[in-house]
Amino acid sequence: MEIRSPQAPSGDAPRYTCPYCALKSDGRSGTCPQCGGPVDVRALVSPARWAEVPGQKGEAKVQFGGSHCRISGSYVPAVKADLAAGDGVYFAHHMLLWMEPGLHVGAMSMKGAFKRVLAGMPIVMAEAKGPGRIAFSRDAPGELLALPLQPGEVVDVREHLLVFATDAVAYDWFQTDIWYKVQTQRGNDRETEIHRPLGLFMDRFSAGSRPGLLVLHASGNVFVRNLAEGQFILVKPTALLYKDPAVGMQLHFEHPATTWSAYGAWAQRYTWLRLQGPGRVALMSAFEPVHGEGGSLVACSPATQRQW
Amino acid sequence: MEGLHSPSEGGAPSAPLERIQCTWCQGQNPKDARNCQSCGAPLDLRNLVSESGWREAPRLRDMTEIHFGQSTCQVEGEIVPVAEIHLGRGDSVYFEHHVMLWKDEAVPLTTLQLPGGLKRALAGMPFIISVASGEGRIAFSRDATGELVVLPLHPGMEMDVREHAFLLASHTIQYSYVRIKGLANILFGGQGMFMDRFVTSQVPGLLVLHGYGNVFERTLKAGESILVEPGAFLYKDASVTMEVQRQKLTSGLLGGFGMSLARMTGPGRVGIQSMYVHHATGE
Repeated sequence: MEIRSPQAPSGDAPRYTCPYCALKSDGRSGTCPQCGGPVDVRALVSPARWAEVPGQKGEAKVQFGGSHCRISGSYVPAVKADLAAGDGVYFAHHMLLWMEPGLHVGAMSMKGAFKRVLAGMPIVMAEAKGPGRIAFSRDAPGELLALPLQPGEVVDVREHLLVFATDAVAYDWFQTDIWYKVQTQRGNDRETEIHRPLGLFMDRFSAGSRPGLLVLHASGNVFVRNLAEGQFILVKPTALLYKDPAVGMQLHFEHPATTWSAYGAWAQRYTWLRLQGPGRVALMSAFEPVHGEGGSLVACSPATQRQW
Repeated sequence: MEGLHSPSEGGAPSAPLERIQCTWCQGQNPKDARNCQSCGAPLDLRNLVSESGWREAPRLRDMTEIHFGQSTCQVEGEIVPVAEIHLGRGDSVYFEHHVMLWKDEAVPLTTLQLPGGLKRALAGMPFIISVASGEGRIAFSRDATGELVVLPLHPGMEMDVREHAFLLASHTIQYSYVRIKGLANILFGGQGMFMDRFVTSQVPGLLVLHGYGNVFERTLKAGESILVEPGAFLYKDASVTMEVQRQKLTSGLLGGFGMSLARMTGPGRVGIQSMYVHHATGE
């Protein structure tokens, strides 16, 4: 079936711009050839300008190099990559769903293994080289998100969410420096705990001279928003999926306005991640709880606060 | 408005007033509406009712908009849906604070004054209920797959909801809680000590719940009973009574074990959720 975008009149000129990855195409295929987003529907954008990521792609085909992948399924989707000779992808081994016996799989060496062990991150990434087929999925309901990277483009991703990346994408990581220390009373003992709602590290992916592709898994649904320069938004720290490196982040604590008659409210503290533009931010709608909000705050990374 | 004709219009006899009544919340809608303006339920889809009378809660279309007071609620996503609220000036919503997903910096937060804070804390219920006030935007979601159940409450309605299951309620709804009677209910029912109770007096309000998995509703007649797994209970009209019924399952010589079920007796609505074990979302 031929589906045309309203913006794509007949002719071969690339007049359709994908609202998710900005690729220009003729809009004749049902999905964007780069990220799999549908071209026959208008982007779902809320009044607050969060764009809902396309989600279920119905066997959308995404091209990278001489290879392609297809995302299928809607509840716990899987992605199948058909690797051409010379193309490769790397991935955390627990994401592997199936692979053809003839596919060459090896280990990709990583720097900073000791720190990664301490942070609970994988110390070995597996690498698969084409030709052959391989498929991935993650053990939670949610969405698979194809995130194309243009040459020179960089993106910061929460740890453990990478499904695979193409070999044109360089992999690095950095310390988030988002933490807070709380003290809690347990019986006669005082305990001090450090909480890192984003984890100790975040992954950083960058495309060099060639374009690349990242496939991420998010729990629940995914929403992306572009922040203008200097624009702020408060988000649940554990809901962050990825952001452009230009987007600044720090902790923000809010204390609700209250009266003495509201039992316990004087100690109430809400922990936010304060994101500052310019750049893209993406959230996932299913998030882990933020721990330590009830304890007494004794130290934290650079943060702002507001008492209402 | 298109499709509506004022009776005072002169000339030919006016056409009958054409409205669509929502079968989920009974709200009235213009004849060209696709979704109910009060609860977001699709108006052009048939009810899904099983042979035994359980009705599937309406699947809200992505980006469905619901109006309450001067505010709107937009439902986004279908796996773990988000309720994005645009609060009008003078409107507010209250909620348990851990369900906040994001908010505008300028949206002020306060707390709702609740009696019996210590009891609530001991029972594992939140003793702080947060309030966000307009004008501004704030969004909410939960930590597991499920459905949003939008329940517009008309004046005089009373609704009991499983603890921690409500996502938000508009400020025109009074919030309290009821203690579940009977030790058997608490110990064997798996329901906990309290249920949230939402009551409207003069002004209607909007109550949004999150049910794990899919949500089904059944209306019980007066005196009619149904046994449900206690962990699946999601909400009920206050007129529906709930008590634990113990059932002993024996296997002859090898003895047996007991099983607890909640006996719900009408009249009124009962809502259940299909995924009643709390699942963590992973990493």
